[in-house]
Amino acid sequence: MFHSVICSESRKLIAQYMLGLDAEVTYHNFYPQLNQFHPLHFFTSPDSSIISKNISCASIGMNTVGIIRAPRGDGKEAIVLVTPYNPKKVVLGEALSLGVAYSVFSLLSRVTWLAKDIIWLVADSQYGEYSSVSAWLREYQAPQFHRVVVNSETCNESSTIEGKLYSGFRRAGTIAAALVVKVAEDGNHFDDSLNIYAEASNGQMPNLDLINIVNYLAVHKQHLRIKVSKMWSLLGSKWLNTLGVVLECIGQYARRLNPQWKFGIPANEYVEGTATLASSMYYQGLGVPTGPHGAFRDYQVDAITVEISPKVSPTKMNRHIDFIFRGGRLIEGVVRSINNLLEKFHQSFFLYLLTSPSKFVSVGVYMIPFALLGAPLPIVAASLYMFSSKTTPQAPVASEVDFSLESWKWINSAKKVFVIHLWGVAVSLLPYFLCRIPGLTPTNNLTVWGSFAVLSLVILFSMLGYPTSVAVPSEAEKREWANLKSVTLSATFIGLSLMSVINFATAEIGALLIVPFCLMARPLMLDIQARSMRTLLLATCNLALGFIAFPPCAFLLLKSAFDSSGGYNISDYWNWMESLWAWNSATYLYIGIVHLPCWALCIHILFHPS
Amino acid sequence: MTKKKKVQWFWMWVIGSVTLRLILVYFPRNLNLSSRPEVSTPLTSLRRLAEGYWLKRSSMSPYAGSMYHGSPLLLTFLGPLTVTRIEGQPDQLLCSLVFVIADVISATLIRAAGRSLQAAYSSSLKVIGLHQLSETSEVLPSGDFAALVYLWNPFTIIACVGLSTSAIENLVVVLSLYGACKRLASLAAFGWVLATHLSLYPSILIIPVILLLGYGPDAPPRKLFQQRIKLEVGNSSSIGSNNLKEELKDQSSVLKVFAWRLVVHFFIWILLWSSYVLVLCGIYLQKHGGLQELYRRTYGFILTIPDLSPNIGVLWYFFAEVFDFFRSFFLMVFHGNILLMIMPLALRLNHRPCFLAFVYIVISSLLKSYPSVGDSALYLGLLGLFSYELKDIRFSFLLFAGYVGVSLLSPVMHNLWIWRGTGNANFYYATAIAYALFQVALVIECVNCMLNHDRMVTKLTTTKLKDAKS
Repeated sequence: MFHSVICSESRKLIAQYMLGLDAEVTYHNFYPQLNQFHPLHFFTSPDSSIISKNISCASIGMNTVGIIRAPRGDGKEAIVLVTPYNPKKVVLGEALSLGVAYSVFSLLSRVTWLAKDIIWLVADSQYGEYSSVSAWLREYQAPQFHRVVVNSETCNESSTIEGKLYSGFRRAGTIAAALVVKVAEDGNHFDDSLNIYAEASNGQMPNLDLINIVNYLAVHKQHLRIKVSKMWSLLGSKWLNTLGVVLECIGQYARRLNPQWKFGIPANEYVEGTATLASSMYYQGLGVPTGPHGAFRDYQVDAITVEISPKVSPTKMNRHIDFIFRGGRLIEGVVRSINNLLEKFHQSFFLYLLTSPSKFVSVGVYMIPFALLGAPLPIVAASLYMFSSKTTPQAPVASEVDFSLESWKWINSAKKVFVIHLWGVAVSLLPYFLCRIPGLTPTNNLTVWGSFAVLSLVILFSMLGYPTSVAVPSEAEKREWANLKSVTLSATFIGLSLMSVINFATAEIGALLIVPFCLMARPLMLDIQARSMRTLLLATCNLALGFIAFPPCAFLLLKSAFDSSGGYNISDYWNWMESLWAWNSATYLYIGIVHLPCWALCIHILFHPS
Repeated sequence: MTKKKKVQWFWMWVIGSVTLRLILVYFPRNLNLSSRPEVSTPLTSLRRLAEGYWLKRSSMSPYAGSMYHGSPLLLTFLGPLTVTRIEGQPDQLLCSLVFVIADVISATLIRAAGRSLQAAYSSSLKVIGLHQLSETSEVLPSGDFAALVYLWNPFTIIACVGLSTSAIENLVVVLSLYGACKRLASLAAFGWVLATHLSLYPSILIIPVILLLGYGPDAPPRKLFQQRIKLEVGNSSSIGSNNLKEELKDQSSVLKVFAWRLVVHFFIWILLWSSYVLVLCGIYLQKHGGLQELYRRTYGFILTIPDLSPNIGVLWYFFAEVFDFFRSFFLMVFHGNILLMIMPLALRLNHRPCFLAFVYIVISSLLKSYPSVGDSALYLGLLGLFSYELKDIRFSFLLFAGYVGVSLLSPVMHNLWIWRGTGNANFYYATAIAYALFQVALVIECVNCMLNHDRMVTKLTTTKLKDAKS
């Protein structure tokens, strides 16, 4: 009860402040949605209308929205400022972010140059920052006409505020851009700095120009240090530092040869760039948005989160006004830049990876290594196909009765590959049902999942007629693995190129893991029979690669390599996968439908009796 | 015994495919197939048909507002089904059922046509003396095979579940081919008239249908028969058996002569059926501009390509880019492209009219103004009919992988362009070009393989003839 009073009081206070600036103020009620698994979320337009019925009044979240109409605008475009705060437990950082946003808002309500409406969304983050923002956006972009029946009518408390408060949902024009403003809780002891979070769902990024604007204004106008997230563990790694030094030396040497060549960069810059790049790839590849800005990207709105991190913790800060002033100046500058735009940001700067706040790797560059990595797949597939379809020398005279479907031999392998991919689909749908069973720990879930996967795979192989006979296989059977591998490689190639379009970072990381194994895989029996040093090395290599490419192993290995906090548990894998599917990440589908089946097929080739 | 087994197995597969369709019909919301550009073009979309029906019911022209561009017959047939809803069932359940039934009927027709084709082919091989080849040609049940390919092709399933009227267009095309294979002039004419009425492009099928009716189903090149008959007549005259001579002469007359009567019947039936269809359409559109309006809104819409919304074809992008004063020129070029290929192909493949029809269908679905996956479904199904002749086709795996890859990549690119805004039209159009390339490769390889097969048959018969002479 006490909490709800605080909630409504703080909400009222914010609304009154907004009203004091002559803004249109409304409340937006929303019902926190449980994370649900939509396997085809990626392909559907973002208007999925799922409503959970009968929600009690206590679980309603309430966003406060203020809109300033632009005096010079036609009301067709708008800029959104978002400040998430939790009314049940207001902390100083959130209060400060409200202060920054309010100062900007009050300024903007008076300026004459405004051409786009300003929406200030105070997002109720008691159920998570993302869900409140996405609920508001869903209502804004795709209104639902059947509303939820709320049990009690006491939820509506807006009438108690004096002054005019609009009922119903208010809109401004199409959203040009959105800024999520936050203030970090604890000081960083170095300098006032600014963290930028940009990754939205499935590795989508906002337009680079938005990041550039923030970066430029923060560095050159407000003298803030800009930071994007880094893989901290990479910074201290010896081999990376050595590599950086080597590259620096090469660069210096090259410059001495020809002053025009300027590709050498200082070692520490190289290391920092790599750490940033790794983190950028990781967060893009994860496919989970890094903040409430992710909700905007689903509606083609560019949005980033700027987290201002003061030198000293807000609790110990003496001059709050100064801090608000500085933050407000920055936000004002960004809003003004977007306000002055006549068109949308140019569409060609969405595909990039950040190496520092001011540097990026564009799609034209990062596609090259991926294409080089993927290119061997079709080539090897073609050569294996030729190898497997080489006809055994027969008398050509018998061509009249020759009825071997020579050019259709791949059908059998294709059938196998298809069935294994279906198995992958079944395996990736299973967690959906497992989550329905209450009271299972992550370890239990993982055990059930794993055992189901293995069991169904064994059954499938026995149904497909796994060649287990030790009898001497015929020439055609010997070639069968080559045919199977060729089809597997084609499937991997199609899967990877598909994923590289959906989420490049996932495809890149996945290709690094699966492509070497796919290319190397050949029956161990062949290697063991040959008994030479080379083939034994090849066999060990294959086994090692097969181990690394197995998704849980890959996860744990990468985690132990990059996460120095220690304590690795196999149940982490379940939690990780659960978070992936809860966020409808395409990475989850990639692992289940592309990576795992291809891995299983390669293992099958590895243990093929030849 | 073995044949019976095959039949049982066949019907199991048919039932399986119907079950799969029915399962998918129950999840229309999640799949949302009927709004995909790959499935529903302005001509085949059921949503547009429902709109047209609504307009007609409120006593307006169904073609008002450039929404509907199909036939009035489809409106009377499917229109009432779009508005009947059954409580607790998916919205367009009845229409989906109609499409499922249409698919099954097409498959059975393909099967029957395939069987008669196969029987005719093996008997004609026997006539030219290639008994072994004729036996091997019966090993593959190509009719069953083609029917199953048609039913289980993901394209067919998607087009059927995605509520596209192409299932019905395909049905009438198959009906016409079936009628021609069975030499039923009235049925062939009925199918051809309806197919032309529904989507215009099948009108070029009149050449293969006439050849089918005139010469009979696919056979090896005709000169082989003449050589063979000459030889046998010579042999029999030396032996001096009069009866055999007569028999052979009968055979030769059956094989050589173009059945003019049947073709004339066919044309009379075409006249009858088309006047019937036109009268029906005229009555339906009496108050809304009559037949002129019909031609303007259906054939005119197909030929002038005013709707440039993206689809899997190659024309929309081109006509979005082309300067307005070149538009009519390029319209002629693109449509002439189809017409240009009719004659050479007809001359080269006139002994294989069914295969000729297949090639025509591929070409027209490639250069169509509003292609959809339903068109591909039809020719991929018909491809199965020639599984014996095309068993040595090259690049089969490459083509298969290409079709799979493109059909997966295309929706993703569309999503990237339309929903995410990170890509642009070029991304999607690139997949359309790739798709067109694979189709071209497919048709080239098929024709190439068929000609090689003919060469092989010719070689075998000439060596046999030489053996017989020496």
